[in-house]
Amino acid sequence: MAKKTFVNGIKKYKWFYLMFLPVFIAFLIFNYIPMVGIVLSFFEYTPFGRPVFIGFENFRTLFSGHSFWTAFWNTLCISLVNLGLGLFCAVGLALLIDEIHSPFYRKLIQTINYIPHFLSWVVIASVFTMILSPKNGIVNGMLQLLGIKPIYFLADEKWWRTVFYCINRWKETGWGTIIFVAAIAGVDQNLYEAAVIDGVNRIQRVFFVTIPAIANTILVVFILDLAKVLNIFDPVWVLQNPLVQRVSDVISTYVYRIGIDNADYGLSTAAGLFKSVISVVLVTVANQASKKIKGEGLL
Amino acid sequence: MMQERFSFKKGNRARSVFRICNGFFLAITMICVILPLIKICVDSIDPTSYGIRLILHKIDFSAYESIARNSFMYKPFLVSVFTTITGTAIGLLLTTMAGYVIIQQDMPGHKAIVSMIFFTMLFNGGLIPTYLTVKFLGLMNNYLAVIIPVGLSAYNIILMKSFFETIPPTLFEAAEIDGCSPFSVFWKIVLPLSKPALASVGLFIAVSIWNNYMNFILYIPNPDMTNFQVKVRELILSDGVSGTAITVGQDMLKSAVIIVVIFPFLLIYPFLQRYFVKGVTVGAVKE
Repeated sequence: MAKKTFVNGIKKYKWFYLMFLPVFIAFLIFNYIPMVGIVLSFFEYTPFGRPVFIGFENFRTLFSGHSFWTAFWNTLCISLVNLGLGLFCAVGLALLIDEIHSPFYRKLIQTINYIPHFLSWVVIASVFTMILSPKNGIVNGMLQLLGIKPIYFLADEKWWRTVFYCINRWKETGWGTIIFVAAIAGVDQNLYEAAVIDGVNRIQRVFFVTIPAIANTILVVFILDLAKVLNIFDPVWVLQNPLVQRVSDVISTYVYRIGIDNADYGLSTAAGLFKSVISVVLVTVANQASKKIKGEGLL
Repeated sequence: MMQERFSFKKGNRARSVFRICNGFFLAITMICVILPLIKICVDSIDPTSYGIRLILHKIDFSAYESIARNSFMYKPFLVSVFTTITGTAIGLLLTTMAGYVIIQQDMPGHKAIVSMIFFTMLFNGGLIPTYLTVKFLGLMNNYLAVIIPVGLSAYNIILMKSFFETIPPTLFEAAEIDGCSPFSVFWKIVLPLSKPALASVGLFIAVSIWNNYMNFILYIPNPDMTNFQVKVRELILSDGVSGTAITVGQDMLKSAVIIVVIFPFLLIYPFLQRYFVKGVTVGAVKE
């Protein structure tokens, strides 16, 4: 009987299976077949020879190498600072936007601030390479007016990370506010009225009513971003150059260099696998933390 | 928010000062966002522009002319246009179909399908295995290798699904009773009712294909088939790190290609703004 309803179910939904078929094939090719390719991390494999099984040798090479660990710690440092700054700026800006009462001005601020999110990293790197150029750039032009010598912002180890964080904020802060502006607008007005009756002033209202009310949203955004912490690639890739590799190299750029430039497929796959595994652990931990804190997970 | 009176009377003074400062501060954030773009725009049409000057002294469109004249410049632009249009169409079709399939709760295998889509958000094969798969399947120099991974993402499918869930299920039932096949329900009911979702997800897909650089570098080695982003990058990097020995003419050309690559987006942006805000907030803000 159970079998019959199953077969009937399949018959009833046959068109849906047909609809899903192209999606299935696409996921198979671009997501699931590559997952099988992970076994390459146990092989020595270059374009010039057949794969040779070498067990854990790739991982041994990886973990004993200096440049891999540099990339690993750089990734953690750059991504986490970026994530923290991002949340802080987005929540802050959203709170300030919420204080604007004129609908026109509010709309204008939001419209303008969303623009950079839609520009590609290639374009942004190009814009800032020109803006920050020590010869013709507007920033160094201003510094010169103040009597400061031109600074090679993108080619100086001392400056690179600071500039990197600033450019990231320039691109994503406005976009990051969307979700928080919506969350703040959704805060129960009764809470504010109750707070006013309790004699709470404006600033206290923000810290004791608004922020606790949107804490869930902040947590959700934090966890979703945490899952992507190790995947940071495009912004680093386009802003990096050999002069600042020591402070800017991250795992993804390391994987790319070893895999595509040096064509050491086995070693690169091993590094990529290490990154993916740590990512999965991070997401799982974050999800468990969310369950503990608010009683429900995100996944 | 309660409407409050704007005045400098005692008691209101601190509040009013705050509101003025706040408005001013947000104006500065806008200037910070827009200034670099204006500077690039000025640089692209004024050959005498330099350093901190922001005012046009001379108008000269020769940089744009040289982009329109040289096939190695305008061809990548046309490639960008072509891949964005076809890619958005294919990506939207696949995304909506997947979204429509996963709202069928009673379908046998429903759980497996949802997990299959969801798992791709958690884990992936990584750069080299994906690269080698594309290579061995003969998809090198094929635009599908660029379009599909960008156009079809688990995130957009879930977004689409949340939109579809807002359609009252009685509509589907009524259509089924009237003898509509799943395809015609999809075509005649689901899609027309989700125009805002199509606009919102479509914009996300279009922007990410238009902006795609890495997939073109990896999967399209043929220089005749490359897109405008790759061309822009090539041109900007053509004289090493942060511009040593740049001649002014080159600077103008660089500025002009940047403007050309962001212009199409700025053109459609005002019309689509209300849709993407919805796209970001749907399902993400929990009460």
